[in-house]
Amino acid sequence: MLARVANNLFWMGRYIERSEHVARYLNVNYFSSLDAPNELSQSRQFVLRSLMFFVGEPLNDNSVILKEEDILYNIGLNGDMPYSIINNVKYARENANSARDLISTELYESINKFYHFVINYSIEDFTKKGLYDFTVNITEMTAILRGKIRGTLLHDDVYAIILMGINIERATQVIRIINAKYNDAVKAKGSYGDKISHSFEWTTLLKCVESYDMMRRYYKKAPTSISTLEFLILNPDCPRSVINSINQVHKHIKDLDESKTPDKNSTAFLISKVKGEYEFKYAEEIEEDIQGFIEKILNNLVQISLKMENEFFNY
Amino acid sequence: MSFEYSVTYSAENKYENPVENASWQFLIVPEDNDTQELISVDIKNSMQARSEFSQNGYGFQTIRINTKERLQKINFSVSFKLKKLSFNPFDQIPLFDIVSNYELVQSLTFKVDFEPFLRQTKYTVLPEGTENLFLFDSSISIFENLQKLNNWVYNFIHFNAGVTHVNTVLDEIIKKPEGVCQDFTHLFCALSKANNIPARYVSGYLHQGNGYFGDSQMHAWAEAYIPQVGWIGFDPTNHLLVNDNHIKVAHGKDYNDCSPLKGVVYSQGANETVHSVEVQAEQ
Amino acid sequence: MNPDVKKPIFSSYINNTALFDEVFNINGTAKNVYQKLFELYGNHSIQDYVQLNNKAKSSFFNQGITFQVYDKKETQEKIFPFDLFPRIIDEDEWEIIERGAIQRSKALNLFLWDIYHDKKIIKDGVVPLDLISSSANYLHQMIGVDPPGGIYNHISGTDVIKHSDGNYYVLEDNIRCPSGVSYVICNRTALKRALFGVFNHYKTHTVTNYAENLLDILESVKPKGVDVPNCVVITPGMYNSAFYEHSYLAKAMGVELVEGRDLFVENDFVYMKTIRGPIKVDVIYRRVDDQFLDPLEFRADSSLGVPGLFAAYIKGNVCLANAPGTGVADDKAIYTYMPQIIKYYLDETPILNNVHTYHCSRPDELKYVLEHIHELVIKPVDEAGGYGISIGNRLTKAEIKVVQEEIKQNPRKYIAQPIMSLSVHPTYIDDSESFEQRHVDLRTFTLLGNKKEFVLKGGLSRVALKKGNLIVNSSQGGGSKDTWVLKK
Repeated sequence: MLARVANNLFWMGRYIERSEHVARYLNVNYFSSLDAPNELSQSRQFVLRSLMFFVGEPLNDNSVILKEEDILYNIGLNGDMPYSIINNVKYARENANSARDLISTELYESINKFYHFVINYSIEDFTKKGLYDFTVNITEMTAILRGKIRGTLLHDDVYAIILMGINIERATQVIRIINAKYNDAVKAKGSYGDKISHSFEWTTLLKCVESYDMMRRYYKKAPTSISTLEFLILNPDCPRSVINSINQVHKHIKDLDESKTPDKNSTAFLISKVKGEYEFKYAEEIEEDIQGFIEKILNNLVQISLKMENEFFNY
Repeated sequence: MSFEYSVTYSAENKYENPVENASWQFLIVPEDNDTQELISVDIKNSMQARSEFSQNGYGFQTIRINTKERLQKINFSVSFKLKKLSFNPFDQIPLFDIVSNYELVQSLTFKVDFEPFLRQTKYTVLPEGTENLFLFDSSISIFENLQKLNNWVYNFIHFNAGVTHVNTVLDEIIKKPEGVCQDFTHLFCALSKANNIPARYVSGYLHQGNGYFGDSQMHAWAEAYIPQVGWIGFDPTNHLLVNDNHIKVAHGKDYNDCSPLKGVVYSQGANETVHSVEVQAEQ
Repeated sequence: MNPDVKKPIFSSYINNTALFDEVFNINGTAKNVYQKLFELYGNHSIQDYVQLNNKAKSSFFNQGITFQVYDKKETQEKIFPFDLFPRIIDEDEWEIIERGAIQRSKALNLFLWDIYHDKKIIKDGVVPLDLISSSANYLHQMIGVDPPGGIYNHISGTDVIKHSDGNYYVLEDNIRCPSGVSYVICNRTALKRALFGVFNHYKTHTVTNYAENLLDILESVKPKGVDVPNCVVITPGMYNSAFYEHSYLAKAMGVELVEGRDLFVENDFVYMKTIRGPIKVDVIYRRVDDQFLDPLEFRADSSLGVPGLFAAYIKGNVCLANAPGTGVADDKAIYTYMPQIIKYYLDETPILNNVHTYHCSRPDELKYVLEHIHELVIKPVDEAGGYGISIGNRLTKAEIKVVQEEIKQNPRKYIAQPIMSLSVHPTYIDDSESFEQRHVDLRTFTLLGNKKEFVLKGGLSRVALKKGNLIVNSSQGGGSKDTWVLKK
C-alpha cells in the first residue's frame, strides 16, 4: 500500500470516529442538561461552555453571553470552523476519495451518502429543531460505516490502518470527553456543594460515550468518579475504554509490523510500552492527579500517531 | 598533442521559503567525443545529498541530486578533469562541391533528417520581416557563408553582460543588439536555419587562454551541419571557429534543451541561483 | 403531467424521417434488432420509465460516479447524463467497426514508430514534413527511442458515427489519454440493475472484461528482464475530472493508483513509496499528459509528474502507456491522411471510412472551402473537446463572412469536412418528459499490446442532448447510452 494512501486511510478512520464523538457529546450534553438535577448543570450557558471546551475552544470569560444558535451552528455545520462536524465529514470523505481504489464500493457509497446527508442538512432546521435528528443520524451512520469497514474490507493492511486510526481517535476522544466532564464536575461542585465524586456529570459522561448501560450492568450502582474512571479508562471489556482502544491498536500494529521483538524506535514498541503502562494502573492513582493523567495519556496518543506517520506514512 | 583541463562548476541556490523534497538536475558534464575525453568527476554539495548520474531526453549525461532535508540554501561544486586533443578546425575542410551541396540541403530527405535543427523554436524564431537579415551567397560554399555569418553576428551584437537574461528572445535582440553568448548563438542558429542549414545550440566551457586563471560562466556557441564535413562549431561571440579551447557539454535546438541547472522544489516564493565556472589548463 | 394517465413510452415520439433513426423505420415500425426491446419497453408507461431512470441516477450519485462542476462559490457534483434506452449494434455491423478500429490502431502505431525513427513515410512524400515540424506534440526526445514491445498507442479511442447512408465513418482517433470507458461499464451496471429482464431476451457481449484485458496489454509491454511486472495507474489527482475513471481502472485491475508524489526515481529505476518501503514499478498506465510527466524533462512548473521518470523510460527500465509523443498522431491534420497511412504501412484499404477532408492549406481546396462554407463543417486542427467548430448550414450570411475571413487569415489552421448527418437515437429528455430523436456517435476502445489486441465489444454512445446539436462531447453538454453488441 502506498504510504500516502495509508495516511489517508488512517485519517479517514480518525475523522469518522471524531465526527461521531462530537455529535454524541453535542447530543448528550444538550439533552441531558434539560432536566439536570441542579441549576448550574441545567443552565444553557454552562452547557454551551462545556461544548466549546470539548471542541478545544474554551471560553473562560463568564461575562460573555453565548448565543445557542451560533454555538450549535459552529459545532455542527459551520464549514469555517475546523472542529465542526461538517468539516470532519468532509475530511473523512476527501481521505476516502484518494484511497478510493483500495476501499470497497460499499464502504465508499456509505461514506458518500454520509457526506451528502451532512452537506445537504438545512442549517435552519439544525439550529432550530434538528439537533436530535442530526446528531442521532451522525452516530447511526458512523455505526454503519464501522460495519462496512469490518464487513466489506479484507482484513489486511488497509483494514489494520483504518482501525488504528479509529482506535487512536476513540481513545483520544474518550479522554477529551473525560477531561471536559471532569472540568464541568469541578465547576458544578462550587455552585451547589455536592461532592465531586458523586456529581451528576459522571452520568452524562458515561452517556456521552454510550457506556452508561454497560456501566450500570457491571457495577450495579450509581456512578462515582472512581468507578467511572475505572470503567472508561481501565476496563478492557468496555468497548469504549481507553485500554480497550489501546489493545486494539496493539493488535493491529502487529499486522503491519510482524517482527517478534520490535525495534525500540518503532511504533510497535511504543504501543506495547504504553499498553503495559496502563494495564497496571488503578483508578485511585489516576484520581489523585487526574489533570496530569489526562495530559500524559493524550501525549502518549499523539506520540503514537507521530511515530506512525514517520514510520509508515512519510516514506 | 593533448591538454589536460580541470573545470569546476559551482552553484549556489537560495530560496525565500524553506523547501523540502527537492531535486536538481545538472547538464554540466563534458561529453566524451572525438576531441575530448572525460577522466574524472567529483561532486560535492553542502547538504551531503545523494547524487547520481543519469541522462536527459537527448542522451547527454546529467547529474541528479535529491534531498528530503529542509533547506533554504544549498551549494554545489562539481569538478571535472578531461583530456582535450589539440586540433585545427581548418584541417577538416575539404574542397566543396558547391552546387551539389546546395541541392542536397534542398532535398526532402535532408530536410526530414535534420528536422529538429531546421525548425523554429522559441529562442530561434526570427521576427517577421527579418528572415532576410543575412542571405547566403550561393556562389560560395556553405562553409564560407557560415564564416561570414559568424562574422556578421559578431559585429551585429554588442557584447554586454547584464542586459539580457535566460528568457530573452530574438525580437528583443534585433531591436536592441546587445547581449551575451547565448544571444549571439541564438541569432546565428536562426539565420543559419533561415538559409536551410541545420544549426544547433551548444553549451560548454571556454578556456580563455593558457595559464589564464579566473571566474567565468558557462559558454555557448553553435554547430552547423555542412555537407561533406558534418557538424562544425562556430563561436560568434568571439568570432572564432570552435577549437581546442572549447569544451563541449551538450547540444540542442536552443538554450531550452541545454540549460545547465533545472530544479524542482515544492515551495512557494522566489529563488536565486548564482553559478560560476573555473577552467584551468595543465599541459 | 397528470400522474394518473399512464402514457406509453414512445407515445409522443416524433420520427423525423429526414434523419437516420437507428431504431425506427420510416413507417414507424421498429427495426429488427430493436423489435424485442420495443415490445418490452412498450409495456411500460413513461412514468414507470422516469421512475427507473431516477433510481438509476441516484444510484450513480450515491456511488460518487460524478464529475465536478465549478461555479462561483461551491463545487457541485453532477452525474454524467445517461438514459436507460440502450443502443444495439448487431454482430455484422460490429465486426466492421472492430476490424476497422484495429486496423487504424495498428497503422497509427507503425506511423508513430516511423516518424520517431527513419521517417520513411515523409521521405516518400506520402505525408508532408509539416505534419511533424509544425506539431507541438512531436517530441524530439522520442526520436530513436524504442518503446517496450514496440507499442506507442496501447489505448486508442476511435470515434465513429453512422451517417445517413447507413455506413460508419471515423470522426477522430484519440490516442493521448482517451477517457470514458468507466462510463461504459457504469451504464451497463445501471441498465442491468434497472431492467434485468430485458437482458434475458438478448445475447449481449460483456463490457466488464475491459480491465482484465487492459492489464494483459500493460503486462505484455513490460521492460526487458522483468518477470512479473508491477503495473500502476498514475492520475493527476482527485480533483481531475476523470478521477473516478482512474480509480475505477486501478481498482478493477487490482493495481495501485498513484500520484506523481508517490513515485521516485533512483539510478534510473522507478519506485513507489509504500508503507513497507520502496517497491519497483515496471509499467505505468499514465493519465497525465506528456508535458507534465517529468518536470526535469518537460514543464518544470508541474508537480504532477516524477523527476527523472523520462530518463528511466528511455533507459528502458519502465514502460509508459501510452508512449510519450503519441499525441502527435491524434492531430486532426494527421487524421486526414489516415487512408494513405493505412495503405502505406499495411497495404490495405481502410475498413472504416474517413470523412472527406479539405485542407485549407492547399490553394485549390481553400478555394472550394471558401465557396462552399454553407455545406461544410470548419474545424481548427489543434483544438480538442469540440471547441472552435463552425457548422456551415447553421451560420448566417454575416457569420459566414467572418469565418471566411478567419480562414483566409490562417488557412493552415483549418480543415473542412462535409456536414455529416449523424444518426439519431430515441433519447429520454428531462424537459419534455418524453423520448426525442438525438444525434449519437460511438467512442470505441482499442487496446494494442505486444502480440495482443483487444477491442471492447461495446463503447460509449455519446448523445448530443441539445436538440439538433451535432457535437456530442461531454464538455459540450453530451450524455451517454449503454451500447450492446450482440453475439452471433
